[in-house]
Amino acid sequence: MGKKRVKVDLTRRDFLTVAATAAGSAVAAQALTTGPLSPFGDLKRRQLSLEGEVAHAPQGGYHWGMVIDLDKCIGCEYCQRACSAVNDVAPDKHWNIVVEERTTGGSKFFFSRPCLHCQHAPCVEVCPVQATFVREDGLVVMDYDRCIGCRYCEVACPFDARKFNWEERGDENTYVPTWGSPEVPRRSRGVVEKCTFCIQRIDSGQARGLIPGEDREATPACVNICPVGARLFGNLKDPQSKVSQSVAANATLRLREELGTEPSVYYIPPKEGL
Amino acid sequence: MASISLTQRRFSISPGFLAWLAFLSLCLLIGLAAAVEVFRRGLIVTNMSDSVPWGLWITVDLSAIALGAGAFTLSAVVYLFGLKRFQPIVRLAVFIGVIGYTSALLTLIMDIGRPDRFWHPWVYWNIHSVLWEITWCITIYLTIMMVEFAPVISELPFFARWPWLRRFAHAIHKLAPVLALAGLGISLLHQSSLGATFGVVKARPIWFKPSMPIMFIVSAVAVGPAVTMAAARIVEWVTGKKAVAHDLLRALARFSGLGLLVYAYIKLWDLAAVTYYGRTPATSQALYLLNQQTTYGFNFWVVEMVIGIVIPVILLLVPRFQRNPFYAVFASGLAMIGILANRWNVTVSGLTVPLSYSPGTIYQLPPSSYSPSLAEWGVAIGIAGYALLLFTLGVRFLPLFRSDGGAGAGGEHAG
Repeated sequence: MGKKRVKVDLTRRDFLTVAATAAGSAVAAQALTTGPLSPFGDLKRRQLSLEGEVAHAPQGGYHWGMVIDLDKCIGCEYCQRACSAVNDVAPDKHWNIVVEERTTGGSKFFFSRPCLHCQHAPCVEVCPVQATFVREDGLVVMDYDRCIGCRYCEVACPFDARKFNWEERGDENTYVPTWGSPEVPRRSRGVVEKCTFCIQRIDSGQARGLIPGEDREATPACVNICPVGARLFGNLKDPQSKVSQSVAANATLRLREELGTEPSVYYIPPKEGL
Repeated sequence: MASISLTQRRFSISPGFLAWLAFLSLCLLIGLAAAVEVFRRGLIVTNMSDSVPWGLWITVDLSAIALGAGAFTLSAVVYLFGLKRFQPIVRLAVFIGVIGYTSALLTLIMDIGRPDRFWHPWVYWNIHSVLWEITWCITIYLTIMMVEFAPVISELPFFARWPWLRRFAHAIHKLAPVLALAGLGISLLHQSSLGATFGVVKARPIWFKPSMPIMFIVSAVAVGPAVTMAAARIVEWVTGKKAVAHDLLRALARFSGLGLLVYAYIKLWDLAAVTYYGRTPATSQALYLLNQQTTYGFNFWVVEMVIGIVIPVILLLVPRFQRNPFYAVFASGLAMIGILANRWNVTVSGLTVPLSYSPGTIYQLPPSSYSPSLAEWGVAIGIAGYALLLFTLGVRFLPLFRSDGGAGAGGEHAG
């Protein structure tokens, strides 16, 4: 019994059986999950067709972006209120925050933050079901019908831009109608949401031939309402757009650039510097 | 011989056993009540928040999967590395694996916001997401364990009426090496990806490091066999019958002791590299805050290092302690606590440190705090009850300690 070699009793027939079973299971698994035999096939087709409607790719050359001038911002929070009204955001889960800040020199300025629509977005990379993705026009979009509510995106976002619906909402939106009226339905319990750059305005506006950033109806609510013009919106790929010209004319910065997420929001720092 | 009488002496329920079942049923009832509350009102009944979106349940998931790692480790030891003498314990290891993985899946179902969409990862693929890969690996690996375990189930007297089923289940046994190979590959993948879940998040300074996946898998491989060993000992104490040869159990204890040493080695180098020599302003700040405001330092040094590693290593490796089975079981209990503390510390501490992204100097999110709510504890208790009940019933009714009746060799070692 001393040298007991392990005898692997595999005949050619066993080997072929195993190989065929493995290959067969792989094919069956593919067919049953994403393939033609999937019990979820109809659901998936329906969702994909819905997505097709929303995500019509604008023909070449769009990258929606924003410029926020920290020097102009007066901290009135109008952008936050208009956003909450138009997107029917819960009172304690602002998509768009405004806070008071200090420079290293000690002077006061106001800092505001929508979703930054990163082009290498950590939230998009980690989502297990592609419920959030970067659209061809640069928008980071949420698919509320696909989100399973695992909250990994919320954990991964470096800017705290994502909020989860912990319960079915029954609150009254106090910003309506003073600051606008809801243009999108409330999100259901159990999914993650975030700023969309008012995607509903961009899509419907473009369908009507309007230019987002120029025509008010196609421009995010926060940009429209700003009383001092601290926010600009437009196509970063068009050198003539307001955002491109502003980025070209000013020294700008993006948040946490060292992470390499490539945000679509540029900040113009206060005049005396940060 | 002993194990045969174990299954034949059915329906003799002692008062102690009855009390134990009653206790487990109570745990399950608590869990059920908490689950109903969660499904009815949503995750608002938990103490998780937008700044700490993961908590106790993720800790339970991670720990249950790590503690189930004995299944793939011992399957690989027996069927790939050819150490057939460990065969008598593979069934128990795989059974514990099944319990661990199903517990994790049950907790996950509670944890996601839309349990009705649990199937989405199988249909909508994001191959870039480690969480997607984990979902797939766990599903596939659970299937592998079920197939590995099918012969044991088929040996129940109930299935005697369908002899073809038994024959079929035992034919599967021929696949054991293939299953062990697939199980090893897939386990190596997802056990480390669970660490990568944190390691790839560059937004969080104390998570973002390449050692994360390695520490997760090494700790799982170290503690998994100890859990199996402790389970076998406890079964022996309770039933009063020698289930598995003691030299095997001592070998497992030694293996786990050495595994924990490797884990400690990697952990110390990680500490040196990330928090001492390689500290960035972000990690320094995060660790300062954690040490000031939370029990992170105590959890790390006392619970994870001393209770979870140093004491178990001494008890499992020093011969005079090692000979005493009580110390071995005690040590693996401590190692389990170490794993739980580590998974908790990783998950919650990483989220407690607030994100800092403002270009200015004063604005910072307040450091968040988190302690589980009643509903979260309730679900956790229910899951523990489920795991222990399944184990108890398995020990009572399944031929866990009989050697393989199939074509496999090594039957002569069975008690």
